[in-house]
Amino acid sequence: MKTSKKIVLLGHFGVGKSSLIRRFVENTFSDYYKVTIGVHIFKKDIELPEDKSVSLIIWDLEGNDDINNTRPSYLIGTSGFIYVFDLTRPATYEKLQHDLNYIKENYPNIPLKVVGNKLDLVTKDFIKQNSDTFKPFVDYYTSAKTGDKVEDLFSTLAKDLI
Amino acid sequence: MLNEYIKTHTKAIIQYFVIDLQGIVLDTDDALFPKVKNENLESLHPFFESLTPLFSLPEQEYLFSCIHLNINDKALITDITLRTFKDKPSLLVIQDLTTHYNNYQLTAQIRNESVINSQILELRNNYLKEKEDFKNTFIANFSHEIREPLSGIRTFTEILGKTNLSPEQKDYVNIIGSTSNHLTHIIEDILDISKIEVGKLNLIEESFSLNTFIEDLIFAYNVQAQQKQIELTYSLDARLPEIIIGDQYRLKQILSNLLDNALKYTTKGSVSLKLSLNQFRAKKASIHFEIVDTGIGIKEEDLNKVFTSFEQLDTGLLKKGTGLGLAIVKNLVDLMHGNISIESEPNKGTTLSLNISFKVDDNIKKRVKKIEAEEETRSDKKYNILLVEHSEMTQLSVLKILAGHGNFYLDIVSDPEDVIPTIENQNVDLVLMDINLPGITGDVLTQQIRQMPEREHKRVPVIAITGKVFAEDLKRYKKAKINDVIKKPFDEKSLLKTLYKYLK
Repeated sequence: MKTSKKIVLLGHFGVGKSSLIRRFVENTFSDYYKVTIGVHIFKKDIELPEDKSVSLIIWDLEGNDDINNTRPSYLIGTSGFIYVFDLTRPATYEKLQHDLNYIKENYPNIPLKVVGNKLDLVTKDFIKQNSDTFKPFVDYYTSAKTGDKVEDLFSTLAKDLI
Repeated sequence: MLNEYIKTHTKAIIQYFVIDLQGIVLDTDDALFPKVKNENLESLHPFFESLTPLFSLPEQEYLFSCIHLNINDKALITDITLRTFKDKPSLLVIQDLTTHYNNYQLTAQIRNESVINSQILELRNNYLKEKEDFKNTFIANFSHEIREPLSGIRTFTEILGKTNLSPEQKDYVNIIGSTSNHLTHIIEDILDISKIEVGKLNLIEESFSLNTFIEDLIFAYNVQAQQKQIELTYSLDARLPEIIIGDQYRLKQILSNLLDNALKYTTKGSVSLKLSLNQFRAKKASIHFEIVDTGIGIKEEDLNKVFTSFEQLDTGLLKKGTGLGLAIVKNLVDLMHGNISIESEPNKGTTLSLNISFKVDDNIKKRVKKIEAEEETRSDKKYNILLVEHSEMTQLSVLKILAGHGNFYLDIVSDPEDVIPTIENQNVDLVLMDINLPGITGDVLTQQIRQMPEREHKRVPVIAITGKVFAEDLKRYKKAKINDVIKKPFDEKSLLKTLYKYLK
């Protein structure tokens, strides 16, 4: 039997949440930045090992530089979170620990993946130099532009939800 | 009529749905999305799939704002309200707010792009600043490292030139002297342009005699002009003030650069320097400087390049220097709130015109006379100088210079710990203080001197002798109450001039 799971993407504006979803759902990418307002909802069925499958209902929320301002109604019934920040803009990860604590305190026991996006715009040295900031929190370094680790991100989260 | 208009022109923006526990549409008014009766909401849009678990929770109300729906190829941005009841089907209300949210989207797009751009700009600026700081630190360290040995070369070349040498040896010494002078100028140029570019070059105002200044300047270029058989002349407007206040070191740098170029690019004819008074207003004299040569001239298309850093025009002559000279001139003139212009014609010559204003103080004349009188009276006096320096080359340079004059006893201390006891036990008239000392800096050591209990000890003049002369260094020295700074590489004249300034 197929089950549906709601996934919500959170993070500042301009970090690439919509681009990650577009890459995962449609396998496309555009350099044009269109601001998301409110929420767009997408659906993708994915097959998991042992003949299991899951329908991911993916909520692409508008970006917010203060996680406290996220509308609570958007988060009702969420099965998994993906928190995205932009590796090239420190303002999007300066409050990383605070934001993650907020999610964990308000939505305990809900799987959460933390993603540093726009990997194609930084060097390996940059990641190494900032490992103190990133390493304790980050699950995936992704690039919506190249598709690097995008599929892994969603499928691993899907497995965690089943 | 009103009812008819309302019926005809009302645009529905709200649709009501009655739905069962599974999400089947039991009834609806078709206002926004027609033909959905008896459909399962889950099949219409994935949004409703997330809603299904809520249908079984009675007596609740949920509001979802700004939800993008696309049902049967109709895309709307909506607010959605869900009301659940006990023992009754739920009510779902969809309100079309597409126009409202599209306007908001436009505003959000502009705002977010602007924030992102400013964040990126800030990052770029920080990156550039880090690069600039690195460059400046590198230049400061590099220049310090070079100044130290260069100082030794220049001093000993001067000393060697005063010994008994054969004419051939004298020629060699002159070549070493002029080459080390040239190297000093190149280092100064690089340092100056880097200071100017970061706004760290400050002008130092002091009064000086314009006549003497110009005479000295021309005198320095006479030999060069004679060697090239070029006539070098100058003239001063009789209305010009005798004493002006300004940064004479930087003015000399400007005029020297221009005279250097004029002589370099003139193979026959003349070079002239002419000073005239534009106007005299509010105790300020606006002076017009004009340097005219009969040299090779500059092509019109190249004229706009002459004041650019690192640009050297293809003159057909051997390229020499850093190409920074005229860029520095332009920047210095700007710093003095003056202006510079150039006119030139290939094979005929070039005219450079500057206008710079200087303060004028008539009382200065009297003070200059008083200082000159003081200088005469101290010619027989002997002074105890304490040199705190770990570099043997600098120790020897200072020793040789001071030994050549009869007015000084020199004590040399290379261990900073010996400084305070030496000042306590001897009548030190002045301290020459290196800054980079082992284990302590000269400015910190000066602060310790300033805290000595005896008035005559703590007030002894301290002159830093260092290659570290960036604005932030000078601020630090001033804070430590260091009286003055002698910049490495120094020559006999600059060392003695500064010493006498503080010796009574």
